[in-house]
Amino acid sequence: MQHGFKLLDAEHDIGLSRAREGYRLHLNQGDERIEIPVSLIQGEEGDWVLNVNGEVDHISLALDGDDVFIHLDGEVYQLTFEHALQRLAEMSAGAAADNVKATMPGSLVSVAVAEGDHVKTGQTLLVMESMKMETTIVSPRDGVVQSIQFTPGQTFDKDAVLITLEPEAEE
Amino acid sequence: MKRIVSSLNTQSEDFRANYAHNLKNAEKFREKQHAARFDRAQRDLDRLAKQDKMTVRERLKRLLDPGTPFLELSSLAAGEAYGGEAPGAGVVTGIGIVSGREVMINAGDGSVKGGAWYPLTVKKAVRALDIAIENRLPVVHLCDSAGGFLPLQAELFADKYYAGRIFRNQCMLSKMGIQQVSVVLGHCTAGGAYVPGLSDYNVIVRGTGAIFLAGPPLVKAATGEDVGVEELGGCDMHTTTSGTADYPAASEEEALAICRDIVAQFKTPDKTRIEWQTPEDPYYDPSELYGILPRDIKQQFDMREVIARLVDGSRFHEYQPKYGTSLVCGYAHLWGYKVGILANNGVLFNDSSLKGAHFIQLCNQNRTPIIFLQNITGFMVGKAYEERGITKDGAKMIMAMTGCEVPKFTVMCHGSFGAGNYGMSGRAFDSRFLFTWPQHEISVMGAEQAANTLAEVKVRQLQREGKELSKEDIEAIRQPVLAEFKRKSSAYWSTSEIWDDGILDPVDTRNALGISLSAALNTPIGDPRYGIFRL
Amino acid sequence: MSSHMTTIDTSSWPFDTVLVANRGEIAARILRTIKALGLKGAVVYHSADRKTPALAIADQAVEITGETPVAAYLDAAQILAAARQVGAGAIHPGYGFLSENADFCRAVTDAGIAFVGPTPEQIELMGDKVRARAFVEKAGFPVAPSAIEDDDPATFLERARALPLPLLIKPAAGGGGKGMRVVREADQLESEIERARSEGQRYFGDGRLYVEKFIENPRHIEVQVLGDAHGNVVHLFERECSVQRRFQKIVEETPSPALDEKLRNEICETAAGIARSAGYRNAGTVEFIFGESGGEAEFYFLETNTRLQVEHPVTEEITGKDLVAEQLRIAAGEKLGYEQQDITASGHAIEFRIYAEDAAAGFTPTTGPVLRWKVPTGEGIRMDDGIVEGGAVTAAFDPMLAKLVIRGADREEARARADAALRDLALLGCKTNTAFLRRLLNHPAFIAGDVHTGFLDANPDIAAEPELSEATLHKLLATAALTNRPMRDNADLTPDLHAAIGHWNN
Repeated sequence: MQHGFKLLDAEHDIGLSRAREGYRLHLNQGDERIEIPVSLIQGEEGDWVLNVNGEVDHISLALDGDDVFIHLDGEVYQLTFEHALQRLAEMSAGAAADNVKATMPGSLVSVAVAEGDHVKTGQTLLVMESMKMETTIVSPRDGVVQSIQFTPGQTFDKDAVLITLEPEAEE
Repeated sequence: MKRIVSSLNTQSEDFRANYAHNLKNAEKFREKQHAARFDRAQRDLDRLAKQDKMTVRERLKRLLDPGTPFLELSSLAAGEAYGGEAPGAGVVTGIGIVSGREVMINAGDGSVKGGAWYPLTVKKAVRALDIAIENRLPVVHLCDSAGGFLPLQAELFADKYYAGRIFRNQCMLSKMGIQQVSVVLGHCTAGGAYVPGLSDYNVIVRGTGAIFLAGPPLVKAATGEDVGVEELGGCDMHTTTSGTADYPAASEEEALAICRDIVAQFKTPDKTRIEWQTPEDPYYDPSELYGILPRDIKQQFDMREVIARLVDGSRFHEYQPKYGTSLVCGYAHLWGYKVGILANNGVLFNDSSLKGAHFIQLCNQNRTPIIFLQNITGFMVGKAYEERGITKDGAKMIMAMTGCEVPKFTVMCHGSFGAGNYGMSGRAFDSRFLFTWPQHEISVMGAEQAANTLAEVKVRQLQREGKELSKEDIEAIRQPVLAEFKRKSSAYWSTSEIWDDGILDPVDTRNALGISLSAALNTPIGDPRYGIFRL
Repeated sequence: MSSHMTTIDTSSWPFDTVLVANRGEIAARILRTIKALGLKGAVVYHSADRKTPALAIADQAVEITGETPVAAYLDAAQILAAARQVGAGAIHPGYGFLSENADFCRAVTDAGIAFVGPTPEQIELMGDKVRARAFVEKAGFPVAPSAIEDDDPATFLERARALPLPLLIKPAAGGGGKGMRVVREADQLESEIERARSEGQRYFGDGRLYVEKFIENPRHIEVQVLGDAHGNVVHLFERECSVQRRFQKIVEETPSPALDEKLRNEICETAAGIARSAGYRNAGTVEFIFGESGGEAEFYFLETNTRLQVEHPVTEEITGKDLVAEQLRIAAGEKLGYEQQDITASGHAIEFRIYAEDAAAGFTPTTGPVLRWKVPTGEGIRMDDGIVEGGAVTAAFDPMLAKLVIRGADREEARARADAALRDLALLGCKTNTAFLRRLLNHPAFIAGDVHTGFLDANPDIAAEPELSEATLHKLLATAALTNRPMRDNADLTPDLHAAIGHWNN
């Protein structure tokens, strides 16, 4: 258990088990852990027939690494798998704060710091451009710049690590 | 295989009275079990919370696969011992599914005296590991124990089946190639240190997990060395320096997730193949079992009615339906598995004993596991039966039953008195699993009979001393004897002493047997071979 | 359109090979017509576009390079070299990139290659908003009351102050809404002018401005025109492009729901008149700002685009004219060969621009692999797309991926077909705006045809991510779990018996 899926920035801790026929989805509803009968079988032309609690939908889906893209009822959704070990390790290590990530795809305009610089929370680290709009990326915490991953002019995708701060020393 | 035709009248007064009586018994059992699992002093729960520890139940929830069964063993062990201080004997054992694999769980309960080992804690853990050995089940140890309960050390340390047996069993498992993983969630001190010490994989939680032969105070006393817990046996020391533990974890949750990933590396077992067909629910409602069991322990009932509520489709192939009728023998499927069933429908006579011995041999020959459904007052006594050789006929049944190569399972449905207990694969005869129903009674003879005998001895002794006893005096002697006898022949006493693997609500029996059968098939079935049958 | 094309004889044309100097959906769309005309089609491409439909259609493809992928498509020298390499007698620039670059146009022409577009002088005239506006005003067509800095920089602020509020400040060299600012308070005029100037400088390298009357809740209505090299000009009716986000069009339709027959004639004739005054050659678009003031409809000239527009297909759908084929005929020197009264329109067409963007996150662009590209089919559906499965959407280019063009007998039929088509259309691998477009076309104001360029800003709920229903969430999580190897493998490994018993505890 404790595998998770990220959907629209919310994390969902879910489980899956096999039933006599089909499967069961285990998830939290309020404080309760509930289970729902589910199944997914291959349909025509690469599409799938999803059955959740007796309700049937014809869906399309595609997988890419930990991402699953689902076309359901006219909308496409993206969910990202987070393996329990990955999730729990990140939770305890707090590694997220060490990486400054791109909030949207774009290109790097300028870098305001150099490797080894001491930076303060809120200090400008770099300026990126997306949609011909410039966005300033600031430091999430006080720390030391360990590495800068891009040079001006280079493009990157959303969530690309732009700058890595040195891990905080343990108290 | 035809369906058993039930002759039960579910509208009858008798059925309804039985139903109410047994349902109450089952509810009482469930209440006791719930209390043993969850009722703890607030300070114990507070202590766990302060240490950032989960309860053992929370740990199990995170360890076990969702949507899978957990067959807990001996949930009321020590229930009648130590003044109720050690619910469940302070350890949770059972068969569960981790990463798709059947495993034996041996989980210390830190909320009971800090997980201290009582004599019955040791007995329960040894039994769990015996089951693991017999059924080749990998073991997950969740270690959180303060060590042996010192005031009772004489009853748990030195003897053959005392604490040393835990480690001996771990070694035997390892020698058999059965894997074990320990998750160190608390201190493993002294003997307890060998649980991870003898495991194949160890996960340890930073901050709360520690392994050492002696804790800091004892080290200080012994050598004068001043050393802290983390330095002496903490997570980082053991995973980077000593190599006693393998995987560091930052939290209990992470430790359990790592444990799941370790179990996922275990090879999946090659199950012994026996006859199997797609399972089918019983045709008759299992909850009608409540209406079948009599309110009086001495009263007989037709065991076919019980079989009809346990087996697939309520279908039963009865062997020798007209011979030796006080023992019902036959084949059925349970959760798809083909089984042979021996069930008491009265006292064992010569013919029923011979029928039993014969049927057991058939099951061995065709590799069919056997289920014994006990409701037995013993073998028949009397001149005629002795002349016909009731002793040697009973011996044949015991010899055949003991020599079984196929796995055996016993359910104590009602009464179990005298040598009948032995003939029907009682505790001493190595049934892979033995379960008890709540109203069950077990003793060398019936309680009334025994109380009368004991009171009689006392009365005669007093009469020899010249004392004249009134009817009230005799009752005053008889009643406490009867009460004490009844207590020690009850299912709750039996299960407290771990004479069984737990009490079951009768409606749970089908699942419990299914899970037990599945576990038993991890071990190959040998070729039939017996001792000498006295002919 | 195809029946029309079979009547086009290209045997006497001065070129038999056309190089498309563009990418994405428009390169593919142009190449289709080139091939349908029996010509040879070539295309230039940057390696980032190796997996796009244009390459599959083109007879020849020439790789071009650049510091960035966009820079490659702006590199005139490489494109001319490519044209020579494939023996192209004409270059079609598509839209964007070099399509309105007079120097490129001139270089192409100087190289003896036909530029599928207007003359360099026409590009220069129309590309400069200030000059274009002056030209139109002088020719007697309506322009918004305004103050142009270039007329007399010293009195610019003074002249701007004299105009009635609210005002709109625009960079003289701008386009696409960039650097525009609205001023509602007189005391803010000066500081806003300064801000607009620095933005203009930054975006276009040109800080010159002009200020004009700002029309509240304006509509953007444009007219398609065609002119040949022999002085013939016709219009092909209007397009309504009022639904915009970030000053960029996302839904275009024709006819405009805002115009009655009289107004339609008036605005279309105005556009044709402007083109005629300029002696315009090529397909072009005259854009107007349209509003109401005191119950009276008013429209003013905005600008002329001297190229094929993104939204040209809606015009094709109702007139039956292939605008690319017409462009090529004109570039080949042919006469239009028809008069205004020969051009008729029937039915209603709507175009939806499919963008790789997150509408709820302020329409920020998205990227990702094209794992699956499900294109709807059916009556009245036309899909002009520039991506194929196996490719990727990157940050290197404009996020427009495709255009869904829907035709119906009337607006309601087109709208209903569009709803069904958008429901079926899906890009798996990268978020797009299709769900947003569906919400938009089902919005009461859109249904009523009652939109303006600020419509989406005024109705942010359309762009907002709708709350996920519990049932939908469960369906998504179920699908995710059932397609996830670690979870599925674990579940499948559970022995049959334990799987059948499920969650159970004695």
